[in-house]
Amino acid sequence: MSSERPKLGPDIPKVITGWNSRTGRVIYLTADRDWSESLADASVMTGDQAQEALRFASTDQVRVSDPYFMQVTQDGRISGRETLRETIRAQGPTNHPMFGKQAGDL
Amino acid sequence: MPLLRHGRVSSCSRIFSDSGFGDAAASDVIVTLRSFLDDRSSTASRRDDVAVRLRPEDDPRLLANDLDAVSLIEVEFPKYTDGRGYSIAQLLRRRYGYTRELRAVGQVLRDQLSLMRRSGFDAVVFDHPDAEGVYAEAVGELSSAYQGAADDAVSIFLRRRPGASPGGLT
Amino acid sequence: MYRYDEFDENLVRQRARQFRGQVERRLSGELPEEHFKPLRLQNGVYLQLHAYMLRVAIPYGQLDGRKLRGLADIADRYDKRYGHFTTRQNIQFNWIRLEDMPEVLDRLADVGMHAIQTSGNCIRNVTSDPFAGAAADEVEDPRPWCEIIRQWSTFHPEFSHLPRKFKIAVSGGGHDRAAIRVHDIGLDLRRNSDGEIGFEVVCGGGLGRTPHVGVTVRDWISKPELLSYLEAIMRVYNRHGRRDNKYKARIKILVNELGEATFRSLVEEEFAAQNEREKVILPLAEVDRIEAYFAPPAFDAAPAASPTLDEARRLNGDLDRWARHNLRSHKAPGYTSILVSLKPLGAAPGDATSDQMRAMADIADRFAGGDIRVAHEQDLVLTHVRLEDVPAVFAALQTAGLATANGGMITDIIACPGLDYCNLANARSISVANSIQAAFSDPDLEDMIGPLHLNISGCINACGHHHVGHIGILGVDKKGEEFYQVLFGGRADERAAIGEIAGPGLKHEDIAPALKRVVQRYLSLRSSPEETFIDALERLGQAPFREALYAAS
Repeated sequence: MSSERPKLGPDIPKVITGWNSRTGRVIYLTADRDWSESLADASVMTGDQAQEALRFASTDQVRVSDPYFMQVTQDGRISGRETLRETIRAQGPTNHPMFGKQAGDL
Repeated sequence: MPLLRHGRVSSCSRIFSDSGFGDAAASDVIVTLRSFLDDRSSTASRRDDVAVRLRPEDDPRLLANDLDAVSLIEVEFPKYTDGRGYSIAQLLRRRYGYTRELRAVGQVLRDQLSLMRRSGFDAVVFDHPDAEGVYAEAVGELSSAYQGAADDAVSIFLRRRPGASPGGLT
Repeated sequence: MYRYDEFDENLVRQRARQFRGQVERRLSGELPEEHFKPLRLQNGVYLQLHAYMLRVAIPYGQLDGRKLRGLADIADRYDKRYGHFTTRQNIQFNWIRLEDMPEVLDRLADVGMHAIQTSGNCIRNVTSDPFAGAAADEVEDPRPWCEIIRQWSTFHPEFSHLPRKFKIAVSGGGHDRAAIRVHDIGLDLRRNSDGEIGFEVVCGGGLGRTPHVGVTVRDWISKPELLSYLEAIMRVYNRHGRRDNKYKARIKILVNELGEATFRSLVEEEFAAQNEREKVILPLAEVDRIEAYFAPPAFDAAPAASPTLDEARRLNGDLDRWARHNLRSHKAPGYTSILVSLKPLGAAPGDATSDQMRAMADIADRFAGGDIRVAHEQDLVLTHVRLEDVPAVFAALQTAGLATANGGMITDIIACPGLDYCNLANARSISVANSIQAAFSDPDLEDMIGPLHLNISGCINACGHHHVGHIGILGVDKKGEEFYQVLFGGRADERAAIGEIAGPGLKHEDIAPALKRVVQRYLSLRSSPEETFIDALERLGQAPFREALYAAS
């Protein structure tokens, strides 16, 4: 069963996020069409630019799996109704703070 | 798209017709189950060279009494995740005793080929530049099976106990 | 327990190689994610919130020391030193890289394990009673038949692309500790009027979006006919189950839409139509061979009570309380089964660290003949322990942090991973479980409450079995905020029932206080200290409890 993400209007600022196909780690699309594990590197987009970037992302399957739009503020902070989910995705499980990204690698 | 029969590239000049036999000779077309049933009494269907395409929702029992007339049954997989075609194949082969060509068409992907073969398909329309090579690799990945099916594999239950008295027959 | 022969071993190795090829094709770009997904799912690989997750099959919850140590090694080497035991008696690793999966499968194969059919629209891991082979009330040990079903269903060519997932559970005929009435097929060993042992066949149960208690399709089917009968059910489902809507694709919907009688006649018609070539042939000698692996250990002749244990309990209050909640009666005098709780205060229900897995393996090897089970309540079980050894086992469990004295109590919570891990979840489960555990952490209070099953799911898919908890909690998302609906009156045993939603959802922080009010109400209304929560609820109806739940608002 696949999860469905809420539709975001064209004017809502968004980034593209997905999972590194090889490792499964959470990644974000950067302005130069690379992928970063840091949300701070993500490219904030709207409108056609965002749509086009998503088209690119969905063909970039070797590097990313299941890319989708994630709502952010103009300055790139997680926002909208999936704030909790995306914060957990960005930081790690709330019950295991030592296992999140903030804890670094193994 | 390559047609494989028993894993070998082969050809077939029949054309699928969703409007029945029309003026075509029975040996030139593949008709729907509906067309086949509607035309059962006519000469076209009484030959032994009729080809029928079944949809996943079709009941193969409707063909059971006329299998002598049929030389090809295509079973359509509109999506590779639609597994009804496997039951149709097993019924045709094991229950109704159909022995001629059984062909999987539609979304036929590499990782379903082995299931298809085990279910009784001896032909597939499979799109790949190296269709023969990939087919051979795919159907050879698992060399034994726990269940009897419509292929010639002997179930592991029986292979462990050659000659033992069957407990599963009533 | 069952040991692989050359056929089993060979297939598991070949399957690992096959999946290695599928992973390589995915990572090279040859196989698109859309086509890879069903393949990875049939091998237990999910893409979850943070990472790939691997669900490893633990057939009917049966482990031994070697397998559990193998799992611990995988947790250390490829994951973050812990694993999560699930309500289907499996284990999940949360952080495994796809590129490492083939190696992990090889390592699993080294200890006789795999991840075959732990997800996807196929026949899933067969589950059973964690006390099978030890329980005094069973007609017969169900595990040989679980193993036979495992083998028959593995790579079944006809049933690998079903309309939806398919879960089978088998109970040994006593109290139902395997929740068979909420499975797609539930089997219960029982005698017919001639005294012959066969199975009652229950079908169409399930939780999820549309919960149903299964119906009896057949009062009794003989053992030799079982697999053929299962094939008949599976074929009816494969051909007629809905494929137009994944939320209506489970067999429970088919049973419900056709009606019990029509469904039954379709199955019986299909079963009767099978010819000799179609019947599943299972040689009796093969049944005997598999049964032999599950022969009970040679129990020492021992008195029914142990003065050593009684004395230790008198001297050690912690041991006494733990023994009261976590020991389970055993068919052999002088023996007990032990429920090892994976629900310490403040941890994720069902999680165990690799150190704990190794400690369990050592304890089982030393005191329990190496026999370890996973319970669907997400706890572990040591099946055969001498009463004399209980104090030593308790001490060893204490050292490992595994001696939580809450078996079957309100803090022994079933909870799915929820929004902390799961890509489908709408709300967190673990933190709610932890807040409830904290609210009931006073041992005297918990003792006073007695047995109470509390189940939490973080979404409608119901992996936390919220419908069948005496108290169920369902996390929902309301405009980006977590809310929790409460259900009353569910049960998963032989009197299986689906809980009823009490009313509007509560906020995360309001759940624990609200449940405290509910439990206080129960304590004040029960007819005697012997009347359990579920008994009181069934006697009084949910009104007084609902009233207590919302009393603050």
